[in-house]
Amino acid sequence: MSDSPIPQTVRRILECHTRESGGLLSILEEIQDEYGYLPEEALRAVSDETGRPLVDIYGVATFYRSFSLKPRGKHVICACLGTACHVRGTSVIVEELERQLGIKAEETTPDNEFTLETANCLGACALGPVVVVDGHYYSKVRKSHVARLIEDARTGIRRETGEPETEHRDGTVESGRPETPGRLDTIEQFHTLRARLREANDPEQPTIIIPAGTCGQASGANALIHAAQREIGTRGLEQRISLRVTGCHGFCEMEPSVLVEPGGIFYPNVDEKDIPRIIGAALDGKVLTDLCFEDPVTGERVARQRDVPFFRHQHRAIMGQNEKMDPVRIHDYIAHDGYSALADVLAQNRPEGVVSEVQESGLRGRGGAGFSTGLKWKLLAAQPGPGGKYLICNADEGDPGAYMDRCVLEGNPHSIIEGMIIGAYGTGATNGVVYVRNEYPLAIKHLTAALEQARELGFLGENILGSGFSFDIRLSKGAGAFVCGEETALIRSIEGKMGEPRQRPPFPIQKGVDGKPTAINNVETWANIPLIFRMGAQAFAQVGTTGNSGTKIFSLVGKVRNTGLVEVPMGMTIREIVHDIGGGSTGKARIKAVQTGGPSGGCIPAEKFELPIDYDSLAQAGSIMGSGGMIVMDENTCMVDVAKYFMNFLKDESCGKCFTCRKGTQRMYEILDDISRGAGTPDSLNLLEELAWVVKDTTMCGLGQTAANPVLSTLRYYRHEYERHIHDKRCDAFVCGELVGAPCQTACPVGTEAWRYVALIEKGRFEEAYRVIREPNPFPSVCARVCGHTCESRCRLGTTGGDPVAIRALKRFITEHIDPSVYQPPRFRRENPETVAIIGAGPAGLTAAHQLSLLGYKVTVFEAGAEPGGMLISCIPTYRLPHEVVRREIAELLDDNITLTCNTALGRDMTLDGLFEQGFQAVFLAIGADKSWPLGVGGEDRRGVYSSMDFLKAFNLRGEELATGHVGVIGGGNSAIDAARIAVRQKNVKSVTLYYRRTDQEMPAYIDEVDAAKEEGITLHTLVSPVKIRHIEQAQKEGVKVQDAVSPVKIYSEAGRLTGIDLVKNRLGDVDSSGRRKPVPVSDSEFHVPLDTLIAAIGEQPDSDGFDDMGLVINRDGTVKVDPETLATGRPGVFAGGDLVSGPSMVVDAIAHGQKAAAMIDRYLRGADMKVTPSIMHPKTYVGPCENEEMTEVARVALPVLSAESRKKSFAEVEGTLSPEQARCEARRCLRCDLLFTQRREREPEPVGVRESQT
Amino acid sequence: MITLEINGLITSVEEGTTVLDAARGLGFPIPTLCHMEGLSPYGACRLCVVEIGEGPRAKLVSSCTYPAEEGLKVRTASNRVLRARRVILELLLATCPQSKIIQDLASEYGIRRQRFKQEYDDCILCGLCVRMCQEQMMAGAIGFRGRGETRSLGTPFDVQSEVCRLCGGCIYVCPACQLRCTYNQPEKAVCGGCANLPPPCAEKEPFDDMMCYMDPCVACEIKKKE
Repeated sequence: MSDSPIPQTVRRILECHTRESGGLLSILEEIQDEYGYLPEEALRAVSDETGRPLVDIYGVATFYRSFSLKPRGKHVICACLGTACHVRGTSVIVEELERQLGIKAEETTPDNEFTLETANCLGACALGPVVVVDGHYYSKVRKSHVARLIEDARTGIRRETGEPETEHRDGTVESGRPETPGRLDTIEQFHTLRARLREANDPEQPTIIIPAGTCGQASGANALIHAAQREIGTRGLEQRISLRVTGCHGFCEMEPSVLVEPGGIFYPNVDEKDIPRIIGAALDGKVLTDLCFEDPVTGERVARQRDVPFFRHQHRAIMGQNEKMDPVRIHDYIAHDGYSALADVLAQNRPEGVVSEVQESGLRGRGGAGFSTGLKWKLLAAQPGPGGKYLICNADEGDPGAYMDRCVLEGNPHSIIEGMIIGAYGTGATNGVVYVRNEYPLAIKHLTAALEQARELGFLGENILGSGFSFDIRLSKGAGAFVCGEETALIRSIEGKMGEPRQRPPFPIQKGVDGKPTAINNVETWANIPLIFRMGAQAFAQVGTTGNSGTKIFSLVGKVRNTGLVEVPMGMTIREIVHDIGGGSTGKARIKAVQTGGPSGGCIPAEKFELPIDYDSLAQAGSIMGSGGMIVMDENTCMVDVAKYFMNFLKDESCGKCFTCRKGTQRMYEILDDISRGAGTPDSLNLLEELAWVVKDTTMCGLGQTAANPVLSTLRYYRHEYERHIHDKRCDAFVCGELVGAPCQTACPVGTEAWRYVALIEKGRFEEAYRVIREPNPFPSVCARVCGHTCESRCRLGTTGGDPVAIRALKRFITEHIDPSVYQPPRFRRENPETVAIIGAGPAGLTAAHQLSLLGYKVTVFEAGAEPGGMLISCIPTYRLPHEVVRREIAELLDDNITLTCNTALGRDMTLDGLFEQGFQAVFLAIGADKSWPLGVGGEDRRGVYSSMDFLKAFNLRGEELATGHVGVIGGGNSAIDAARIAVRQKNVKSVTLYYRRTDQEMPAYIDEVDAAKEEGITLHTLVSPVKIRHIEQAQKEGVKVQDAVSPVKIYSEAGRLTGIDLVKNRLGDVDSSGRRKPVPVSDSEFHVPLDTLIAAIGEQPDSDGFDDMGLVINRDGTVKVDPETLATGRPGVFAGGDLVSGPSMVVDAIAHGQKAAAMIDRYLRGADMKVTPSIMHPKTYVGPCENEEMTEVARVALPVLSAESRKKSFAEVEGTLSPEQARCEARRCLRCDLLFTQRREREPEPVGVRESQT
Repeated sequence: MITLEINGLITSVEEGTTVLDAARGLGFPIPTLCHMEGLSPYGACRLCVVEIGEGPRAKLVSSCTYPAEEGLKVRTASNRVLRARRVILELLLATCPQSKIIQDLASEYGIRRQRFKQEYDDCILCGLCVRMCQEQMMAGAIGFRGRGETRSLGTPFDVQSEVCRLCGGCIYVCPACQLRCTYNQPEKAVCGGCANLPPPCAEKEPFDDMMCYMDPCVACEIKKKE
């Protein structure tokens, strides 16, 4: 803080600036640095001193986001709202910061301690969500980190990562000064210096290279640098090994990393303590295999960087230079051919040759629109420039999700400078400006240093290298405005005005900065210029495709495994980038789309991933190249939310001049916000689309004309998602908070208030917890064992990067510890109750019977088998679900209103007509789906070949062990895994192998089951894939082998008995509409496997033969057609549900159908309206938050399970129960998404359209 | 001289003439809100959009800022232009319903209802007043502040400007509210007088005013709110 009066300070600042001709923006920035904000008095002083109207200065100060007119707190916490951070859940972090600080974003706490700010993109996209506390980057922040992060800010402790500004960086600016002071006056002097530097550079000298761009530093690169310096210093190795600190290498996911030359050995995610070992190995020329990159596909260790899949498919013309040099040492750059292109160009003395060379290279602007760079230069060269001409490097990389320009500026600033000097020479430009966004402090620092060095050596300034040609470059900083990436706005910003675009024509080429001819190119374009002159235009044009030459850097971020910067030849397909380089999806969720081009771009759906990436193809697909942001989105990304996100961004970033852009983006946001809250109407979509087209059509600048793209492209490809929000009030990606409520509850087919019982367990109120579990679900103990637990898949703890709460284990704990009698369901009495027939005593049928009985109806349940339970008894193995658990739970449901008739099947023993004749007034069909699909290869009638259903039933119901010898199971679903695990336990079985046509990553079975199967020794034969290797190892413990990517083609038999099968190998082909890659048979890859038993488990369907004769409509897959809203079939009074309708699904889905059928049959019999208006489910009952917050950061509890050894040949239940202490501890991990709604409910009434969650 | 074609008519204008002036010179009406003779062209309201170019390269530009170019083909009332103007007018009505000028224009373009959530702003940020103040009155008392949705118009720091001479020029040119001068706090540079506009239909016969054809009737909406 300055003690002198404000006007004096302002005068001092202004004096410095008149000399440097800096604009108003940098003056304001210095004032803000001085006072922490812009005091009114200071702005008035600037106006008085400069003579510029106060109204102008005030306008500029309020236009740019980084200026504050209000004093800020002692600590500034800034959350990044960039797209990549957004899809990884920044909004949850901001909400939590707001909650804990007790202020809204952009506010300061009353004690002036904290200011909470948001930035539209901080350019550390691979590390999202990112929060910067007082200039210190925190990467991959989760909700549970927030408290600690605030504490760090308060105490000033910097954890995990080093500070972006460390001493060694400052030091290198100094040491980077030329050793021979004085400038290079001739081209010969340059060549002499270059030759000397090249000689001094020994490529055989062991070198430790540590990338320390912003991302690297945020991940801990500084600690590595310090460790290396210490090690080299203490061991006195300065002469034997060098340490090189460079910019980013691109593989941000693996930061901090170390590269060792010679050899290019790549060590990812290096820990500081391993540095001495790495240095030792480098000295000995050895490789530390254990620290090397592990190929997720093959599981092998890969030593060399260029063999790592992420790097292997790239063409790193620009990015590859970063690792060769310390960005702030100009000698490093010169030693690696730097400035040689400039020297050659100057030596040739033909400026027009420069322009034609660039034209010949076919280089197109990398900033987005793809205008020919050579043509632009030609136009500039042709402009008369008596007052001078400008060249501008546009480094205002505002696209959220793109950060390649930052990386080039940080890692190789001299390449930009060299490019600009060559450009100036070719076009006759006199002044250069690099316009950098101020969110990139490290880039500004490196560029400033590089400009200084270039000037000192005589590459900039008067009479460059004695050629008589003069040119200089200055740095102009932005102040946080996305629109300043637009060229006319950028020019105004350089002139110190509000960044409002203006009408073109006149184009900047005619009238640019201060009215002088100006050409603007993007950072990456400039970085390409020296390459063109080094390799020659023709060689440059060889890379890429015709009309789209060269390489392009993309920032591959979002829901993809290998995030980072990738440089590929133009024309590579999106699939190659996302799957081959990016390694595909991060988890089991399928990749749905990529978003390219930032807020001006659009989404490209997975079906179109074969699209080659170039300017023209992307435009045709409704998107744009933009600066190269490529944000991968999976099924957990909601497209309505994506569009809303961009509109929120644009309504803030629009300059606000054009009425249609300003109001249009606001109104589009408003409509999208309504849709995301469930308040959209069918008219909303038409209005949205109409408005979007008009905004596109009627605005002046590029920002406005493309502002509607996010809306139009999502409407084009994902209209069904919008409709789902509007008509069904559902957000299938579980993103739109108001529609989701508590995700665990909304995800549950029966709407169990999982959050509530988890909270009650945490409080030790176990009986209440049981009632919460039991109320919507008559089979709590069954579901506690075999539920597919969508609640856990949707748990916000899991979707934001952690492990979900073990909800099913908690349910199991409650059902084991609490006596079911604590719950007594309410019962209604009916006079003259109607009678209902239910066909099938599985979970759907029994649930319906129970609910109807509670409502007072008389129900008869007909079961084809000898005992009730359906799949629960006949197919699910007893080691997962013991029969006595099922029997006990069914016994509790049966009462006086329910008559159970076993061994009676529809079609065989009775007909629908007969039932109605007997006096039943309604029928519910729930016979399940227990007919296996045939393999369709012939020979399936041989002895030793079974369908999975026959095999499972034979064992579960009759105790027959059909499997003998070597067993093969075909399929990858739950019944395949069940069959394999039962087979492995049977007495005469020698081995079990599972054959699956895709890789096990695409297996539909619950991952727990695949894991367990492998533990039991089942071999999985699949295209073995990355994440699941752990699971495969576990499964193999149980004795099951797995082979994937194979399909059966022929069955061999002798004397009517199976002897073996032929299988063909598959490779994964293109991505199909389901987002999975299609298995394609590899020709001539057939192989023979001798087998004694073959179990076909490729799928099941209902046994609905003959149902069409009873007046029902049967779908092609054997399921019965019903109205999904009411479960009513075409025949009045006949309802159907469970697997019979949905095909094989989870037990809890069947229970949900049973509930719905009972409600609908009740309405039908009462003659009530069958139409249900969709409603939103919000948590209702308030349960206090966990009081012991410290305890929330523990790992997910591990379920007690039987050891794999004791499981073999045993049918004892595998999973055990948690102890009360374990359960309460696990329950504390819950993020309590419900509190947002229940606390709000206490304050204000619920929005319209939200229903009671307990019905 | 530059020769261009407007709605099929060929005309020659001096270099530097805007398409708007060229079209109006031929008698083609083009609605504007932010344009005024004597003030520099600004291009904020977008009502004056016209279609230029042909085929896939055809586009809409604001005629008040677009310079007449040799051989340019202009359509001032194509379907695309009219569709855009209707939506713009609907947006204007949704923002600033009290303005008689906007109401009349909306009526002229056959708009009977607006489909957005109703707001009651008293400014469309056309910037006429800013340019009046700066270019004609040479004062520079008021200007734009902020950007995007928080962009607003007023004096620095929202206090009475030292350079304002209370000439009233800003009020004179305002298309959004003509009643500013009746506001009871004349010392404030930019007032909110429009908010006090009484519903015209309350005093007149129903349907006497064109506003009553609109759904919802703006003035009645305000009255209901109160």
